[in-house]
Amino acid sequence: MSPLSLEITLGVLKIFSFVVPVLVSVALLVYLERKVLGAIQLRKGPNVVGPFGILQSFADVLKLLTKENLLPSSSNKFLFIFAPMLTLILSLIAWAVIPISSTYVISNLNIGILYLFAVSSFGVYGVIIAGWASNSKYPFLGALRSAAQMISYEVSIGFVIITVLICVGSLNLTDIVESQKNIWFAIPLFPMFIVFIISALAETNRLPFDLPEDEATLVAGFFTEYSSISFGLFFLAEYANMIMMSSLTVILFLGGWYPPIDIFPLNVIPGIIWFVLKVFLILFVFLWVRATFPRYRYDQLMRLGWKIFLPLTLVWVVLTSAFLFYFEMLPK
Amino acid sequence: MFFVGSFFLFATFLITTCIFVIFSKNPVNSVLFLVLAFLNSTFLFILIGAEFVGIILAIVYIGAVAILFLFVVMMLDIQRTTLMSNIKRYVPIALLFAGIILTEIIYLTIYKSSKSNPNIITRSKNNTEQIGDVLYTKYFIDFQLSGIVLLLAMIGAIVLTHIYRPTIRRQNIDKQNSTTATDRVKLVKVNSGQGIEND
Repeated sequence: MSPLSLEITLGVLKIFSFVVPVLVSVALLVYLERKVLGAIQLRKGPNVVGPFGILQSFADVLKLLTKENLLPSSSNKFLFIFAPMLTLILSLIAWAVIPISSTYVISNLNIGILYLFAVSSFGVYGVIIAGWASNSKYPFLGALRSAAQMISYEVSIGFVIITVLICVGSLNLTDIVESQKNIWFAIPLFPMFIVFIISALAETNRLPFDLPEDEATLVAGFFTEYSSISFGLFFLAEYANMIMMSSLTVILFLGGWYPPIDIFPLNVIPGIIWFVLKVFLILFVFLWVRATFPRYRYDQLMRLGWKIFLPLTLVWVVLTSAFLFYFEMLPK
Repeated sequence: MFFVGSFFLFATFLITTCIFVIFSKNPVNSVLFLVLAFLNSTFLFILIGAEFVGIILAIVYIGAVAILFLFVVMMLDIQRTTLMSNIKRYVPIALLFAGIILTEIIYLTIYKSSKSNPNIITRSKNNTEQIGDVLYTKYFIDFQLSGIVLLLAMIGAIVLTHIYRPTIRRQNIDKQNSTTATDRVKLVKVNSGQGIEND
């Protein structure tokens, strides 16, 4: 094999080594969600397919695959089929820059965090195109809500990221994690950590902010008209986005692959295991929140985003930079 | 070879999508083609090594501006016939703007590029750091001025569209949250056959 084709083969293998575990963990996350919700509500959850019901999600995927894919006759056919694909692609290409250990990353970009921010802001297109192409009232209303919601919470996510970047002095995700070797940013920037988790819930359209798919008022929101595997792709993308946002939280605030304290029994455990454990913790918080809080009303959601989070994060950006400047702790 | 090939690929896509923006029958398709055009210009920026400008262009234009366009265009009830009927009104001003931009491009490509030397930029730092070095120091005034221009545009748009209606009923969240049961409910003794009076 020539060096170039060898390099391409290795690159493709590396990409698969990220994408396949993500897709499998999506299936397991759906199972985990049902089990956790079941435990919180004193039910058993799925327990029939496979040992402890662990194969339930795979059975669901097979069921979705064998169903008929319906195309509404008045829809815009191309965009209708394109929207779920776009959503899934966007939720998967974000993994290109996420470092899961100090060396294991597909592409160690200098502007990794900007890339992630750009990709997550494109995510709204899948939703809004799906809502519009369906040519139906409920999906359209769901799409409009979703677009407004995602844009609103992106603003505060942007300011939270800026606060972290001021403390790091680099846009590289590996640098961001390495600057947390001594102390995780979740401790000095605790309010920002909370704002980020709440905004991540809103950005991924999770409860209590799942207004785009509010079944009580909008049937199923933007994917009301979708069936079979095109519905499955939206479903997959939503959970892949959850895992992505959890990984981003871990990278920005929970010290990525570093152990909590750098002492003997903890620091021999490989970094990748710490990373997965932390992602798991954040994902559990996502599910826990779902079981605990009722859904927000639309105006409450907008008020939280624009009137509470935006001023709070703005003040924190100024405070953090003033603090670092006064004590001459600004990086470089 | 790779560089030139990619440049022509993205440039061709950029021009094609721009043409589709103008000639699409459906305004929503126009906006989606505009998004593709933005995406291709992002690729062009990344190709010349200006990855920061490229990604910022993507975040601002694709992630925010084009979504708002899409938002508005989807809500409008536009008929293509009414759009086409008064299209001639805009031809002179469109030609004027096209002329100005074309003159600028010709001026820049012919006169400026021969004078300035692109290799003068040191490649020791990546371009994000280079922008960071000068944005708040050398170009502080210019940066703040452009910010004020944008703020003025925003305030202008709000002033033009905001109409104060005294009759509108607004929700006061703090007032709503600070009410107690005694403000809303009272226990009334009702005499048989008389009912209660409204107050």
